[in-house]
Amino acid sequence: MEDSDSLIAFREEVKAWLRASCPLSQRRPIVQKEQIWAGRQRHFHSEDARRWFEAARDRGFTAPEWPVRYGGAGLSVTEASILREEMQALGCRPPLYDQGLWMLGPALLVFGTEAQKQQHLPAICRGEIRWAQGYSEPNAGSDLANLQMKAEDDGDFFRVHGSKIWTTKADEADWIFCLVRTDDSGPKQQGISFLLIDLATPGVSVSPIPLISGESDFCQTFFDDVLVPKANLVGELNGGWAVAKEVLRHERQLMSSFESMAEKPKVNVVELATQHIKRQGDGAISNLDIRVCLARHLMRDRAVKQLGARIEQQGRARCGDPRLPLLMKYLSTREIQQKNEIKLKILGYRGLSLSAPDDPESCDSIVKQWAFDKALTIAGGTSEIQLNIIAKRGLGLPLGSSSE
Amino acid sequence: MILNSEQESFRASVSSFLAAKLPISALRALRDKPVATAYDRDLWGELAVLGASSITVPAASGGAEFGWLALGAVAQELGRRLSPTPLLSSVVLAQGALIQCASPEQVARYLPALLNGDEVWAVAFEEQTHFLPDCLQTAMTPLGLCGSKGMVLDGAAADRLLVTALDGSGQWGLLLVDPDTPGITLRASRLMDGRQYVAFEFSEVSELACEWVAGPASEGAWARVLNQAMAVLAAEMLGSARELCERTIEYLKEREQFDVKIGSFQALQHRAAHMYSELELSQAAVDAALIAFDTQGSDQCAMASAAKALANECFQLISDEAVQMHGGMGVTDALDIGLFLKRSRVCNQLLGDTHWHHLRYADRSGF
Repeated sequence: MEDSDSLIAFREEVKAWLRASCPLSQRRPIVQKEQIWAGRQRHFHSEDARRWFEAARDRGFTAPEWPVRYGGAGLSVTEASILREEMQALGCRPPLYDQGLWMLGPALLVFGTEAQKQQHLPAICRGEIRWAQGYSEPNAGSDLANLQMKAEDDGDFFRVHGSKIWTTKADEADWIFCLVRTDDSGPKQQGISFLLIDLATPGVSVSPIPLISGESDFCQTFFDDVLVPKANLVGELNGGWAVAKEVLRHERQLMSSFESMAEKPKVNVVELATQHIKRQGDGAISNLDIRVCLARHLMRDRAVKQLGARIEQQGRARCGDPRLPLLMKYLSTREIQQKNEIKLKILGYRGLSLSAPDDPESCDSIVKQWAFDKALTIAGGTSEIQLNIIAKRGLGLPLGSSSE
Repeated sequence: MILNSEQESFRASVSSFLAAKLPISALRALRDKPVATAYDRDLWGELAVLGASSITVPAASGGAEFGWLALGAVAQELGRRLSPTPLLSSVVLAQGALIQCASPEQVARYLPALLNGDEVWAVAFEEQTHFLPDCLQTAMTPLGLCGSKGMVLDGAAADRLLVTALDGSGQWGLLLVDPDTPGITLRASRLMDGRQYVAFEFSEVSELACEWVAGPASEGAWARVLNQAMAVLAAEMLGSARELCERTIEYLKEREQFDVKIGSFQALQHRAAHMYSELELSQAAVDAALIAFDTQGSDQCAMASAAKALANECFQLISDEAVQMHGGMGVTDALDIGLFLKRSRVCNQLLGDTHWHHLRYADRSGF
């Protein structure tokens, strides 16, 4: 689709601004430890990183589509996608990482009170507060509505007890957005409320969970008689499910674009194959199984990206097929796992150790990634839940005993 | 795919023409006809007048210049109804080869009759039991053209035949010949998809009866024609797969067992959702290949291979699932499901099976 004159001017202006504002070091592929995470513990790996973050923040480009009065840039959907394209073209790193930015903010814009928006959105855009997500509980995974963490009425406060699990990096977060049970008399979905909790409140404790990758990216967060002001309730009392679904929609979008924000491996899977497997005279690797699996994966991975581009293009042309975004998490997470499995096949005996995960050059980091990415088809709604959603909302199949 | 308004109204006009004149019952009728009939020639004449023969042809040469995405959209409409037409055999392959490989004089001489539907051509390029375009033994010898070709799409209905052959010095070339020339014998078969496929024998066919339309310099152009044919066939296959996916999901919503709609069973819901995901994933690959032709993008070989490989797997999956989910009715000839299933397996072999495309993709990607 052709841009109109005003969009062409916008693109030119943005391009010039990015060239002037994004230091060259911030246009190199992102490295995990150099990601700029929001929060009171925020730190910059370099002076360039600080300059890039501050320039983006001051221009509202940490949250391009949010209104200017809340710290965003007030861009239209089309303008924001132009900005993304130009950032991609220059290789600009994301200027800010935060779950508040990706998930809570968009839901607050829909469901928050004016006071809540003013309290939280600018702090998110400015990267001052890092948010964690408190949804799952030990007995509420895919059956999220089964959650038990209680928030009891206590005057101006809720009194909260229970625990949340899979709270990503809760040990480094400042606030958490939670689903809590405020009524257990009716159907499960109806007694749930959406509550914002400052993790510095007395009674909150966080404990990291060691994972099969050897890392602890997820935590369990415990709430022992924690007092939370009622002003922190988002949406209606017992109406938290609607807010939660809005957040989940953004989480799934995020997870389908995960790869573009994560650290690129030093060696891509094709290079890995050509380096580790003997090649024949014509350059073909000698392991036919790996050759075919890899070709098939590359085709499908490319098609996932082409589908993503098509969704974005349709969105801009305002002729989007609403079923397509439902497919992205299911398709993209499966291809990432497929790629990891192929890498292990390529490495053979060298792909069996997790002992030196700090060395980015070693094969161990590939193995670690393989183990970590097993969570991709579980977190943010399992693949099975995604298929339920596609079947019901996408294809209109009748409700059965299962739920979303 | 996103079509512009001209492309979309063209697609819609072809679609309503096909719905009226070439529904699936036309394929059923064709199955019962003598094998010499490949498709309804009069209806093809009408489709040519509508513009189906000139979708990607430049306006300067008398074409509609709607581009490859529009051609893909038309192929998809054909796929939805399993409509037998010479779009692939005569337009994409033969006419494509003429335009992209032959001299301007030859194009000027032969193209008009193809565009207006007066003539239909076919290309003979297969010699093995699988698609292997590089394996070429048919040759112009001092005694004349000798060799054999198989799987020529709509070959017995063609007014003229293009034949890939080695020239006197063993180089690749493309010959134009009248199929009635002495020395040419043919055997036509109707395969399980109801379409006509022809084996040709050339024994000492006089060179005087043949006209070279391309030599070694055009071998790359011929490879491009094959890429285009792969993507267009893939688009047609996805049209069939989409029709089948929709029919199956409708059936899941109607059919009751154990006092409930079978579409309420999670096992079937997940398989239906998986089918649909694969369909849209493959569609993205096919559209991307067509767009790469329209924009003269790089990497057309790899894009065409990805399109065909994904379409092969997708159509196979969906046709298998459609039969299974329709239960006993799925294996009866009363339903159309089986027609799609059989078409899927024929299409799998045409212009490269999945493995062939995986290997070519690996080749193009440097491993």
